Amino acid sequence: MTKLLLADLAKHASRAPARGPNWVRISMDTGGIAAGADEVCALLEKEAGTLGFPLAVQRVGSLGLSFADPLIEVAREGMPTVVYGRVDEAAARRLLKDHLIGRRLLDDHILASRTRSVALDGPTTCLLVKDTSADSGDKTQFFQFSLLEELKHRGLQDKVQVVRALDMGVYDKGVAVQFLPSRVTYVNVLAADIARIVDTTLRGKKIIDNLLYRVPDKQVRIVLRNCGKFDPENFQDCLDHGVYQGLARVLGGLSPEAVIAEMKTSGLRGRGGAGFPTWLKWQLTREVARTPKYIICNGDEGDPGAYMDRSVLEGDPHSVLEGLIIAAHAIGASRGYFYIRAEYPLAVSRVERAIADAHAAGLLGDNILGSGFSFDAKVRLGAGAFVCGEETALIASIEGKRGSPSPRPPYPSERGLFGQPTAINNVETLAAVPEILLRGGAWYAQYGTEESRGTKVFAVTGKVRQPQLVEVPLGITLRDIVFELCGGVFGGKTIKAVQTGGPSGGMIPEHLLDTRVSYESLQELGSIMGSGGMIVMDQDDSMVEVSRFYLRFCVDESCGKCAPCRIGGYQMLQILNRLSRGRAEPGDLERVRAISKAMQKASLCGLGQTAPNPVLSALRYFEPEFKAYVEGGVTYARKMSQARPAESAPAAAPATA
Amino acid sequence: MPADTGHTELPGLLSTWKDEEAALLESLEQIERKHGFIPRHIAEEISRVLEVKLERLRKLQSKVESNVRKEAEALVEKWKDEEGSLILILHEIQNQHGYVPRELAMEVSYALGVKLARIYEVITFYHYFHLQPPGRHSLSICMGTACYLKGASGLLTEAKNLLKVEEGNTTPDREWHLDVVRCIGCCGMSPAVVVNGKIHGRLKNGDVARFLAPAGPTKAAS
Repeated sequence: MTKLLLADLAKHASRAPARGPNWVRISMDTGGIAAGADEVCALLEKEAGTLGFPLAVQRVGSLGLSFADPLIEVAREGMPTVVYGRVDEAAARRLLKDHLIGRRLLDDHILASRTRSVALDGPTTCLLVKDTSADSGDKTQFFQFSLLEELKHRGLQDKVQVVRALDMGVYDKGVAVQFLPSRVTYVNVLAADIARIVDTTLRGKKIIDNLLYRVPDKQVRIVLRNCGKFDPENFQDCLDHGVYQGLARVLGGLSPEAVIAEMKTSGLRGRGGAGFPTWLKWQLTREVARTPKYIICNGDEGDPGAYMDRSVLEGDPHSVLEGLIIAAHAIGASRGYFYIRAEYPLAVSRVERAIADAHAAGLLGDNILGSGFSFDAKVRLGAGAFVCGEETALIASIEGKRGSPSPRPPYPSERGLFGQPTAINNVETLAAVPEILLRGGAWYAQYGTEESRGTKVFAVTGKVRQPQLVEVPLGITLRDIVFELCGGVFGGKTIKAVQTGGPSGGMIPEHLLDTRVSYESLQELGSIMGSGGMIVMDQDDSMVEVSRFYLRFCVDESCGKCAPCRIGGYQMLQILNRLSRGRAEPGDLERVRAISKAMQKASLCGLGQTAPNPVLSALRYFEPEFKAYVEGGVTYARKMSQARPAESAPAAAPATA
Repeated sequence: MPADTGHTELPGLLSTWKDEEAALLESLEQIERKHGFIPRHIAEEISRVLEVKLERLRKLQSKVESNVRKEAEALVEKWKDEEGSLILILHEIQNQHGYVPRELAMEVSYALGVKLARIYEVITFYHYFHLQPPGRHSLSICMGTACYLKGASGLLTEAKNLLKVEEGNTTPDREWHLDVVRCIGCCGMSPAVVVNGKIHGRLKNGDVARFLAPAGPTKAAS
């Protein structure tokens, strides 16, 4: 490939991607492949030639709807574009036969669109129907049947198809019906409404106001903007979709100072967890006169239960690389590193591929895009140490040493990698950078709260009905994320707490779920934003066990360099271990608090300072559970932890189990 | 001592040659050709059977045209322009062999000019590097928070009972290696396990047995 120049990129900006009207996109991320996406992809690729019309089969990153992997988005000329979930080989065969050839949508696999409309445009060709309550039973079947009967009665059965959906994107709103292709959605539909729907909406083309679901999609996709949209391994496809346009704007005339000013306007803060303003980090590194300078992309996503960095690296590696190049330009770095977990082999290979492609196209190396700026990037693998997510430990690891943290200051912006000024940014931070520079800092700053601007990706997992990645503007409530976007608790149980921030974060009990998510608000609750893992726990989960799980993780991962973390963590774990065996001694809870305080104050790095957080927050909100272990023993405590409502308020009447 | 194929070839080979140095060299070369290096337990066995001191055997070993040395030198050469290349080299060894053989680590230390203790410091710090050879098959159970909440402990207990080994160990017949991993980033389909590098998700109690069938892991129904 010949080296691109700025003018060449400008051409891509206006070019619409060339693709026929018939295509399928298969989410080929680690999750999708684990669920069988590669078999499905092979089948579709094999059969694509036998259909009698051209069909483009694309391998794309994940849309984030992990609960329904493997995902396939299908576009057929003259039909609404739909996303299918849980497509195994049998379903894929039916998809070929029924959807692509027979032009009929498949039952039980469609994920309704989250971007809902409030106006009908054009005639409806399909109705998606699904009972959205937690104990979803026969109602969907019944409604499908009744709608079909009504359509037959009106002679519309050949014009409109009624399809059972897998997921509607709305939850606990009774039976929901979505009209395709307009995406108008009705909720709480009763049997009595069926005639009205067919009569007014399908025939009269008017919307029934009291059924219409007007709540717009709460998600805003900035970091995930490209995930699932095109093949990350197809460089041409990436260019056609506007990747590297942000870089073109920067190298086409923005000075490093202007870039940093734009970042300041945007208010973007480090998405790795601590929330340090990104512009300030760049500014500090820029101010140091020594060269060479380095920029590092931190993809060591060690937080168990979080996978947004993996999804972004797998689904859109070029945008992260673009962000890295822009950051390098801003701070004056000549060399960059991606530090990625070895446990993410697909992410590693996609990033390596992206770097090679960018190199060949002149987006890396000497004189990038003819602008005179030179920069090169490499991948370094992590090797399974949680502490390496900490800046100084990460630097030691890249240098080929044990990942032991070192005291700060000096901060990496002064003395970082190989003793040189270094800026370290999280994957998600870098992925947001190109879009900010393309659309302006003010555009980004319109999302979020005063202190915490922009959007954040959360991996909502655990006992949640639809585990998935969501990207939401900061300031949204936890309840909205868990209940509105992800459908609440799995199996219709009661929510007990949400854990954010992984082993460094804390539990947030049910009665505080209306908290608006921001760096500060979560900190006030004794948790942290963290990298974005959000784990839902139901009434069956014992908070003692969960805090013990997190503490054991931190004890295992402690590098052993400083005493508060090495010894404090171990002793605290001993206490929790004997507590959970019913052998707690009086004063143990006070002892836990004292050790926690010592660890928070005296540990060298973030791992030790935050390791007590899960235990402390559990103690803060669920002390009765711990006390039950101390006072009543194991059996009593287990019974109590399940019977008790999520609130720790003593006024809550203990229910009889 | 594990029942390895290495020992059966020794008696016939050595009985005729006894303590002759040239002959010993030749048999070492044979072992070298067979294994790619001289495994420590075989070296120890030779020194015991022939009553040769291990140090002398080591000296002899260094005369053998060693693949291990060549491999180590090639790796060091490959990454010589990279600063902090040790972890890169170890990654390559781990991926190639499934563990970091002591012999190879020694050669790397020699070729790189880094003390063996420094290399072991790094190996033992990171979970990804192993010092013991892996089993023929591997079963890793994800213990990320999402998997933990959805019952990964049950899967682990089940695997322990079926394989009769503790986590981090290999079965005596070297067929299966059981491990616990931190998080494989498949939280959307928890609980998940990795069987021979392939991820299987949305498991229930009782599903582990399916992967441990004698014919190797059977295809998982999704």
